[in-house]
Amino acid sequence: MTDEPIQKARSPFIEAWEMFARNRSAVAGLIILVLISLGAVFGPALYPTDPFDMVWAPFSPPGDAGFIFGTDYLGRDLLAMIINGARVSLIIGLAAAVVSIVIGVTIGALAGFYRGIIEEILMRITEFFQVLPTLLFSMVIVALFGASLPMITLAIGIVSWTAVARITRAEFLRIRELEYVMASRASGTKNAKLMFRIILPNALPPIIVQSALMVGSAILFEAGLSFLGLTDPNVVSWGQIIGSNRQYILDASYTVTIPGLAIFVTVLAISLVGDGLNDALNPKLRSR
Amino acid sequence: MKHFFKGVAAASAVVSLLASSAIAEGPKRGGTLVTVLGTNVRNLNSAVQSGIVTGYPGAQLFASPLRYDDSWTPQPYLAKSWDVSEDGLTVTLHLVENAKFHDGTPLTSKDVAFSLDVIKANHPFKSMFAPVQSVDTPDDYTAVLNLSQPHPALMLAMSGQLMSIIPQHIYGDVPIEEVKTHPRNNENVVGSGPFKLVEYKSGEHVILERFDDFFIDGRPYLDKIVMRIIPDPAARAIAYENGEVHMGAFEQLPRIINRLKEVDGLNVTPNGYGGIGPLDWLAFNTTKGPLADVRVRKAIAYAVDKNFVLNALMMGTAADSKTGIHPDSPFYNANVEGYDLDLDKAAALLDEAGFPVKDGTRFSLTIDFGWPDVKPQVEYVKAALKKVNIDVEVRASADFPTWAQRMGTMDFDMSWDTVFNWGDPVIGVHRTYDSSNIAKGVWSNTQGYSNARVDELMALAAVENDADKRKALYAEFQAIIADELPVSPIDMVYLKD
Repeated sequence: MTDEPIQKARSPFIEAWEMFARNRSAVAGLIILVLISLGAVFGPALYPTDPFDMVWAPFSPPGDAGFIFGTDYLGRDLLAMIINGARVSLIIGLAAAVVSIVIGVTIGALAGFYRGIIEEILMRITEFFQVLPTLLFSMVIVALFGASLPMITLAIGIVSWTAVARITRAEFLRIRELEYVMASRASGTKNAKLMFRIILPNALPPIIVQSALMVGSAILFEAGLSFLGLTDPNVVSWGQIIGSNRQYILDASYTVTIPGLAIFVTVLAISLVGDGLNDALNPKLRSR
Repeated sequence: MKHFFKGVAAASAVVSLLASSAIAEGPKRGGTLVTVLGTNVRNLNSAVQSGIVTGYPGAQLFASPLRYDDSWTPQPYLAKSWDVSEDGLTVTLHLVENAKFHDGTPLTSKDVAFSLDVIKANHPFKSMFAPVQSVDTPDDYTAVLNLSQPHPALMLAMSGQLMSIIPQHIYGDVPIEEVKTHPRNNENVVGSGPFKLVEYKSGEHVILERFDDFFIDGRPYLDKIVMRIIPDPAARAIAYENGEVHMGAFEQLPRIINRLKEVDGLNVTPNGYGGIGPLDWLAFNTTKGPLADVRVRKAIAYAVDKNFVLNALMMGTAADSKTGIHPDSPFYNANVEGYDLDLDKAAALLDEAGFPVKDGTRFSLTIDFGWPDVKPQVEYVKAALKKVNIDVEVRASADFPTWAQRMGTMDFDMSWDTVFNWGDPVIGVHRTYDSSNIAKGVWSNTQGYSNARVDELMALAAVENDADKRKALYAEFQAIIADELPVSPIDMVYLKD
């Protein structure tokens, strides 16, 4: 026994935030991400130019006549396109990540919890999706069912849930054997409660990290699809700006580099945040 | 029609690496020409397959009865002379006597009769030879075509890739209808033209070699023609720039044409495109919604600025066209309503048609496009029509067949489209306006347009052997089309010097 006063247990959130804040690049990423999100939410209201309006002579370079990013091949304001494209790119990124998490967590949890034949079947399905070339598979889905935003989101979600499923299953396999799970099982807790109230919260940290990275890859995915022309032509997204301007790259390279930079910075910020989350949620790095 | 039109739909420039000194000295015997095909060719037999990638090698492999010069005058080729009877119902071809197929067999009038049967049964351009009832072959070098009605378009249809003479002793071993899938359509092809097939590799190249027994003495000049198949326009451009390819046709991307114009030693010319007559237009579905009202169609024509399309989008590589007949055609009528940009007039017409602005918009329409190269054009139409408060939603098609299906079944409001004239209006123009050809697949009368006078004018012009009277009939036809606008011709795809 010591005389030291017993320290009050600290909130795990505060602890995680402190770990996160220690990683400077993660904080920088978070700040960039917040700025981009604010721009996507409030930008169109603050800068109300319609991205489909032809406002000035085509191919006016950045800065010409007050158009900060210049105009594209139809004379549309590139700044307005970038701002409106941010919305679409971020929404697709988030929504696709949600889709893949819902599918992945459900399948992974069922497989890891029940084991046996259920696990066999679900894991074979997962492997089937894993070996499909993801970009090609999503192109097929979009080509078959039409290039609307919900369909593109769904297509990206459908091809990228396998990693989440495998991580979830691994965590479930580990946690289901832990004593406190055994204890609650012995005291008669129902399976559903065991899965989602007892095991899942403890399995969350790696899933959260994976999801954050998934948002970034979904944005890249959407950019890839719309670069190939598989996109709703009535909404602007960054990939689409690049795709439709690429044949003018020699004459007006800014029409391709500006949206390219936007994608680059956003995905980088998301990766940095994901990295910081990994540190923050990793118990091995925690101060004792 | 054929899928591979997709890649070449807006043909516009011939690129060639000709040293001007060679032109000055006149042609010399010998040498190998390397040229290029922009789409993979699947069938080399131009008697059963339309389209320019088949016709490009096809016109070298097979000879036709006539040739046309650049002033639209028929010239002797396999036929050394020809007579048209007084009533226009019999056309007699007198064939050259020394023509041989590549296997050495003499070419006779029997082959002409056989080829015509094959073309009628298999070639997609049904109107070319529809009035030909039968072909008599009184002797080996005379072929008499019996017609059910006068058919002035016949002359042009007997030229170039439209009437390839194929050997009966090779292709006659299957029923006429099955020649379309004859195994010798792309291997061991035996033709009658100046060059014979050496090698065809799908997706790679077609190699042709001089046919030494060609019936015109001293021709051809070249020893060999290599046709490389390079579908990517940027890769083709690099091949021209590096001199790997000497000549190419049907380049259509304005950026690339303008880039090639800058290359030393390359000549870029628009000459010769009147022959296929490519036209870009905005097609309207005239059977439903606001577009059924001609005032709405006119308003749209006034709201779309042709100058913007020609200068900003086509970058000066195209010229204006006012009607559905190509401006290079002798039948073109330039004295029709032109629809220069006029937003006030457009708005007034829309008000008059009963579509006032409500909550900032009058009504909504969709616009389709069939291939990625014309996406800027449909985006432009969307932006332009917003200025007269018409909401336009761009519909993407997953691929060309999807678009073709939508067009063929009239499942669209507006679409960007490129249609070829193919020389005589009977072949490439009538199909767009004929009320008996509504919704018969892509490049039929996909507009659902029907006008009794237009049908009558086309029927009269089809059988009118007098050139001036025929021209007058087509002039009236074009005036009605320009007034009723089932399609709004935007530009002829054509390169200005």
